[in-house]
Amino acid sequence: FPVSLAADPAVISPQDPTLLIGSSLVATCTVSPDFPLKAEDLYWTLNGRRLPAASYAALGPSTLSVALARLNGSRQQSGDNLVCHSRDGGILAGSCLYVGLPPEKPVNITCWSKNMKDLTCKWAPGTEGETFLHTNYTLKYKLRWYGRDNTCQEYHTAGPYSCHIPKDLALFTPYEIWVEASNRLGVAVSDVVMLDILDVVTTDPPSDVHVSRVGDLEDQLSVRWSSPPALKDFLFQAKYQIQYRVEDSSEWKVVDDVGNQTSCRLAGLRPGTVYFVQVRCNPFGIYGSKKAGIWSDWSNPTAASTPRSERGAGGCDPKGGEQNTTLRRELKQFFGWVKKHAYGCSNLGIKLYDQWRVWLQKSHKTRNQVGKEP
Amino acid sequence: DSWGIFTFLCAALCNLPALPALNCSEELGASQSIQQTYDLTRYLEHQLRTLAGTYLNYLGPPFNEPDFNPPRLARAERVPSATVDLDLWRGLTDNARLTANYRAYSRLLCYLRVLDGQVGTAELRHRLAHFCASLQGLVLSIGGVMSSLGYPLPAGPAGPPAGPPEAPPAPNDFLKKMDDFWLLKELQTWLWRSAKDFNRLKKKVPPAVVTLRLEARGF
Repeated sequence: FPVSLAADPAVISPQDPTLLIGSSLVATCTVSPDFPLKAEDLYWTLNGRRLPAASYAALGPSTLSVALARLNGSRQQSGDNLVCHSRDGGILAGSCLYVGLPPEKPVNITCWSKNMKDLTCKWAPGTEGETFLHTNYTLKYKLRWYGRDNTCQEYHTAGPYSCHIPKDLALFTPYEIWVEASNRLGVAVSDVVMLDILDVVTTDPPSDVHVSRVGDLEDQLSVRWSSPPALKDFLFQAKYQIQYRVEDSSEWKVVDDVGNQTSCRLAGLRPGTVYFVQVRCNPFGIYGSKKAGIWSDWSNPTAASTPRSERGAGGCDPKGGEQNTTLRRELKQFFGWVKKHAYGCSNLGIKLYDQWRVWLQKSHKTRNQVGKEP
Repeated sequence: DSWGIFTFLCAALCNLPALPALNCSEELGASQSIQQTYDLTRYLEHQLRTLAGTYLNYLGPPFNEPDFNPPRLARAERVPSATVDLDLWRGLTDNARLTANYRAYSRLLCYLRVLDGQVGTAELRHRLAHFCASLQGLVLSIGGVMSSLGYPLPAGPAGPPAGPPEAPPAPNDFLKKMDDFWLLKELQTWLWRSAKDFNRLKKKVPPAVVTLRLEARGF
């Protein structure tokens, strides 16, 4: 196996330099006096590729230089590998070249607070993106009229460019927030964002979402939920949104004007169909904030099915049957509504309508018979 | 009559003075532990292939070239070597064999953990963390085998100590890359060797004898 060496066989200069893209570099490899190697016994590779001898120059009996022009950005963030070899291919020394660009100002800082307890912010790296060098991001924040800068500690909680501040946040005074990007070539600071925690509050999705049928009504479902428990006592002006879809469709229908009720009836649905329903909450106007909050995630989908449409009574009155069943269904809904909202009409019902239709058929036959009487 | 044969064999075996005086449950425990440890080394070997691939790509060529064979500088010898003379290896006692494994992986775990703190990309850090957890499992498993066979655990850092002992950090980034390369190489060699070590131990603590005695007792 490979020979173990006591001392470094050679020294490269510069060792692990940092360079701007497009710059040029002259590197030298000097063999240690303990080693019987001369400049003509050496050669260079960059990232495993042999460099042309034309770019070499012997600067001394045991020193060989190489000229690199117009360097491209580093192939890997750990640095390009510039290696000085002896004639037989053995590695004598190496130097990591860090070639890239200084960072760009981070942009698009957005933050949100979960139940006013914490603050999570995310941002995007500057427009160019690729700097070829490892870039460190630091999120900093301070209260507007107070001195101390604070540094966020918990990174990558909501994606690679994010940070989470878990506690010690003050309400009613705005914060100044900014992100510093730094790499080997420099630092860039984003614009400062000013915000009040109360203006970026989000919460958990509503809990206990229940979807149920409305009696026998074939085209309606009733949705009920509870306001998110964490902010239960503060959500006077909270808004809710419902979205629902048919089981085998990916198109969601949104009900926007739910206001701050905790129940809603969906109408105009298809009978005998399974629906998935979700609800979300926006803690609008919390603690007197004038701004809209941030919508919570949707609740887990709840499923329910509308009742199947009734078949027409078997056999009788086949003529114009289709029209009759639609009419009958509508009447049934109407009577259902009437029962609920008009107290004096308890006698009205679909049964009464059926009885009327039976009477109508009887009298029709009688009239015909009378007509046919010789 | 099969039960008769079992009883006879049991009587014969019980009379053999050469059998180790371990009770049934301990022997069964040891052979199971050995099998588990063997399985773990094979699993880690598989995991290492992916980890090493990703890490060497991060270091860049020539580190990720298949025939890359850099000199092993003196400083790199702080990583315990798996390579050993064949006769020496054959002649190792069970205790010595297990101790070598235990010590090697404890040290390797230390060095890997240091790596974890310095490495650049999030993906690499995640893979390294996962591998370290599995490696910690291997160290504990080896400790379990040693206990079940009645051997004392080697003294010295078994858990996560402050950092690797007598090891100065690499003086430059390129030498550090070489150290990282050799760390992964040694890890690979150790896992190959451990599979053979535990295979050998498996043969020495055969489950067959134990099963026979248990069945006879149950009868």
